[in-house]
Amino acid sequence: MSVVTSPSARFHGAIPHKPSTRMRGAARPQPKRGLRLVAPVTHRARRTPFVVVLLAVVGSGLVGLILISTAMQAQTFELAELTAEARELETAQEALQREVSELESPEHLGPLAVARGMVPSQTPVYLQLSDGTVKGSPKPAEERSNIRQVVR
Amino acid sequence: MTRQRLSRRRLRFCLYAFIVVFVVFAVRLFQIQALDMGAYAAKAVAAGTARVAVPAPRGEILDRNGRPLAASVHGRNLTADPYLTAPNAPEIAAILREQLGDRIDYFDTIDKLRKKVYNPQTKEMVPARFVYVVKRLPGDEADQVLEALKEYPGIFSEKIGLRTYPGGRLGANLIGFVDAEGTGRAGLEQALDKRLTGTDGENTYEVSPLGVRIPMADTTVREMVPGSDVVSTIDRDLQWFADKRLAAGVDEAGADWGLALTMDVRTGEIVQMSQFPSFDLADPQDRRGAWIKNLAVERPYEPGSVMKTITMAALADQGKIRPESPIVVPKGIKVDQYRIGDYWRHGVLHLTAAGVIAKSSNLGTIVAARQMTKRSHWEYLRKFGFGQLTGIGLAGETAGLLRDINTNPWAASHRATIAFGQGVSVNAVQMIRAVGAVANNGVLVTPTVVDAYRLPDGRQIDAPEGETRRVVSPEAAAIVRRMMEQVPRSDGGTAPAAQIAGYRVAGKTGTAWRVSPETGKYIRGQNTVSFVGFAPADKPRFITYVVLDKPHRNAGGGSAASPVFHDIMAMALERFGVVPSGSKSPKVDLDW
Repeated sequence: MSVVTSPSARFHGAIPHKPSTRMRGAARPQPKRGLRLVAPVTHRARRTPFVVVLLAVVGSGLVGLILISTAMQAQTFELAELTAEARELETAQEALQREVSELESPEHLGPLAVARGMVPSQTPVYLQLSDGTVKGSPKPAEERSNIRQVVR
Repeated sequence: MTRQRLSRRRLRFCLYAFIVVFVVFAVRLFQIQALDMGAYAAKAVAAGTARVAVPAPRGEILDRNGRPLAASVHGRNLTADPYLTAPNAPEIAAILREQLGDRIDYFDTIDKLRKKVYNPQTKEMVPARFVYVVKRLPGDEADQVLEALKEYPGIFSEKIGLRTYPGGRLGANLIGFVDAEGTGRAGLEQALDKRLTGTDGENTYEVSPLGVRIPMADTTVREMVPGSDVVSTIDRDLQWFADKRLAAGVDEAGADWGLALTMDVRTGEIVQMSQFPSFDLADPQDRRGAWIKNLAVERPYEPGSVMKTITMAALADQGKIRPESPIVVPKGIKVDQYRIGDYWRHGVLHLTAAGVIAKSSNLGTIVAARQMTKRSHWEYLRKFGFGQLTGIGLAGETAGLLRDINTNPWAASHRATIAFGQGVSVNAVQMIRAVGAVANNGVLVTPTVVDAYRLPDGRQIDAPEGETRRVVSPEAAAIVRRMMEQVPRSDGGTAPAAQIAGYRVAGKTGTAWRVSPETGKYIRGQNTVSFVGFAPADKPRFITYVVLDKPHRNAGGGSAASPVFHDIMAMALERFGVVPSGSKSPKVDLDW
């Protein structure tokens, strides 16, 4: 295996005038040489760089994977936390909303007003801004005149 | 052995190993995918996916200004696994009692947390795996309770939609309520259930064997569609005032129950519908009484003298009466062996038609009604909508009872009594609609309690408009209005208390004999008193009808019902900014 022969050279020597179309590339005129001994392959490709590169690829992949998965997990936790917080705030908002609508309801305000001696007006009166006339017959409301007390 | 040979053997060995491994894989794959496919797929779906129901919030019921009458909030049902909670039952129950107070029973809760069921396989009692501990808690309270109970395993919760009624008793009979499943069971909640109810959604996602959601795995979401909001025609503050004023009126008159309704005569919008006694919407325990019915549509009764306005409208439309028309009112009338009189003793009277209405004479009304045929009287009553549903769209409405002249010919006594509102039964909405037509220049409108719907996408659509039809000519309506304007007169009218300073008011009192719901016969000494009126009489905007059932003996429509009418009408005029014209009521002679 260590001897390299040149078959093309021999071939050329045999049929010099009729080069095959397939072998046209090899058929260029070459300086004529004899057989000679070439140096044997003394060393194979070195392993170390290959292993290093491989390890680096695998290692960086693993590290990347760990980083991504950690980041994703952290985000999942964050998502869960924020979702819980959003839900909590929503519940709190709803509770407050409920409280406000109950407090601003006439069912709540009415008795407070009546308890302070306030009386719903019974004589609607209007001041006409265009000419300053009063429409209706103003009359002071009498104490306890229509709604005397309110029982919840 | 050469290097070449060695590596070739190695290669071959690896190849075989690969082939063996892949054949094993292929066989297993074939087994799973082709042979046991169904079983594994089901197993994977069951173990690897979780479903979460997303309840769709029910639409709100709002008043005409957008204030909530019924609202939806997130709520939770607390559930327990008695297998886990049984050992700690007393501690859990104590915490629940501390958090929720009277809403739970301590011993009841312990029983629930220790609930056992019979297992037919082992033939013995074993702990149950699921019970409801507390139902329908508002979200914030549920969160507090769950936080307080986090040390104890076996307590869970499920999401539900919860209905709240911020007004409590306000308009309770009209608003109605939902049952434990969230289905409308009374009032608007029932009548508009389809509009208010949304479509529940569902989330399905993949979970690990430990139940943790797998991020970025397949998730299917069926979006929930919230229900539509309903904007009612009710004015919340007027409703509250009318509720309270009516309650005071019922109380003063010693009545069994009372009703008060106010309608916009031009549109048929009911701006207030009160009833007393009523119930508290905020208290689910209060929904079992007899007063959850909406009496304004569900209760038939005989209207009495308020019906005289319709008799007069029928006559006026045929050109047979004017406010000044002279009527000779006899001492008494005997028809078909029945003796009919007025509520006061009198000799022969010379009253005008306006006087008959102002003084509420039964005899004068009978004399006037005799000018038209029984059939035309019946036809007018049908045109005014008696004996038919009003189209208001509330559940459980009664059509009342109007004797059908085709199948049950009217005797003389029928015509006589129906002319002043006895022997015919109505519901309150029918009555306010009919008199509303007189106020609305002879055009009958369909009463409505719904103004618009707000769809989930934010669009607002108006509620379909009801039927509108002319029942009498504008001239006939004006004639009756003029007669009715004499009723609140302080000199000879039956209801001076109905007069509102600055405004022209038209109205009519009613005092009807009361029919026993059990026997169907009149009960001597028991009445249903009422007052119907509209203002301003020269340009009618609102009509208010007040009914008091079975008040004490000396209470009449003028004395008991008209003060309630006055206060509610005055408040309605003020709240809606109805300016008085400043003109005076034309006086018509009451006698001749």
